[in-house]
Amino acid sequence: MASAPPLLELRDLSASYGHVQALKPTSLTVAEGELVTILGPNGAGKSTLLRAVTRLTPGTGQILFQGRDVSRLATHRLSELGIIMVQEGRGLFSQMTVRENLILGGYNAGGDRVLLEARLQQVFDLFPRLKERVDQLSSSMSGGEQQMLAIGRALMAGPKLLMLDEPSLGLAPRVAAEIIATLGELNCSGLGILLVEQKAPLALRLAKRVYVLSLGRVAVELPANEIGSHHDLARYYLH
Amino acid sequence: MIDAVQLAQNLVNGFGLGLIYGLIGIGFCVIYNASGIVNFAQGVFVMLGGMVCHTLLSRLGLPISAAAVLTIPVVAVIGILMEILIVRPMWNRGASTFAIILATLATQMLIEQITLLTLGDQPRTYDSFTAGGPLKLGGVAISYQLFWVLGFGTLMVAGLWLFFTRSRMGRALRACSQNAEAAALLGIPVKRMLLASFALSAALGAIAGILVTPSQITAYNVGTPYGVNGFIAAIIGGFGSASGAVAGGLLLGILQAFAIVAFGAGFKNVAALTVLLIVLLVFPNGIFAGVKSLWARRT
Repeated sequence: MASAPPLLELRDLSASYGHVQALKPTSLTVAEGELVTILGPNGAGKSTLLRAVTRLTPGTGQILFQGRDVSRLATHRLSELGIIMVQEGRGLFSQMTVRENLILGGYNAGGDRVLLEARLQQVFDLFPRLKERVDQLSSSMSGGEQQMLAIGRALMAGPKLLMLDEPSLGLAPRVAAEIIATLGELNCSGLGILLVEQKAPLALRLAKRVYVLSLGRVAVELPANEIGSHHDLARYYLH
Repeated sequence: MIDAVQLAQNLVNGFGLGLIYGLIGIGFCVIYNASGIVNFAQGVFVMLGGMVCHTLLSRLGLPISAAAVLTIPVVAVIGILMEILIVRPMWNRGASTFAIILATLATQMLIEQITLLTLGDQPRTYDSFTAGGPLKLGGVAISYQLFWVLGFGTLMVAGLWLFFTRSRMGRALRACSQNAEAAALLGIPVKRMLLASFALSAALGAIAGILVTPSQITAYNVGTPYGVNGFIAAIIGGFGSASGAVAGGLLLGILQAFAIVAFGAGFKNVAALTVLLIVLLVFPNGIFAGVKSLWARRT
């Protein structure tokens, strides 16, 4: 019997800003229900990779989602298929309330109020603090709460693959750990996650596999539990 | 010495015109809220509203209700064409907002010249929606058309407030203006939203033009003054807020009326620009946001 195709498969995906090729031909896979972490220093092409997958930055190469070629689809169509990304810096609608941000997250649900309410309840169960601040402007919340809102809003879209660009950036270690632990819970419930981090010992504990990007290409791919045996990688990413 | 009746009459006229400025200001806000673009061609939608409605009345002999109902989609289609032919290609090529704004200004001039060539340079008007009047209160005459303007103005402000805060599409339009990339990532078709905002804005401009033409003349070149005053109204009210634009328009219209009585008709525009300068100096985010923040600081 043929095995199921990966949730996400990138074949030689590359992307440029003008004449600068920020992402050289890169291939990677994320299996159904898998949590994969992408590591790398500043300028390695991590964010460009996520932007190229979501077509925010035009790229060349092939993007397969559940075996279907989605390389030519517009950003909003990818979202309809279940590819949802939380941007670096959270990308919240700053002049809207928590509730409005969350409801917009469920834009793809159409006018299905029952589905929206159910998803809203799930998000509040996961992040009770959002329920307490539901009528507050998103810009008036703390960094950690804003990150919870960004993830909650992404969950409102009913993702099959959740991609996060440095969700712990700028957060206190305790809050970052809380966010990463929540991602772990979501992954345990079967959600595929592609997590970009610069230095993330916590993320590595959750991840099954790791890709390390350097100078716009995959330098190393290995199971997350083997990173400790690579002296250079361990020194840079685990300490 | 200022004549009290003349002052009251001018204030009533200024109130009516201020409402129209407010409606034009809302048109600015709709596109700005969806895209961050200030559409300087907003005034031509007002001009086209009056000109198209007049053409349908005079050439086809339609009743005012039918002419008005037909005019709105005709002008909305012109707004859609403007988005498709001018704004979208620039947007797709990553043009700066500033460049797109300049292009809308050029479009205003282009549409004015096309109107001049096709419909001529003669000013035109048509009868009020309700025959008879005006209503006399003391020595002050209030035209029935003012009640139409007031009624439609209130309906449009309430409708737009509900649209932008309660409807899926209205929220999506606001989301596009605040963060277009984040909106697209959530499945919102940003380009379609921009198109919708131009259609809606053009329709609002057309309604303002249809309403104002019985009390003010229309001609190929009235778009610029309407556009400028509508823009000032939107800025006074805090760019982006529909109710703020109407309040800004009323303030502007009434101050202009007062300036006409106190200093003569030539000071009408001086008053408008003075108000704008004062508001921008004291409250850069609009008079209402400024007052709100002062109030918050006190309490």
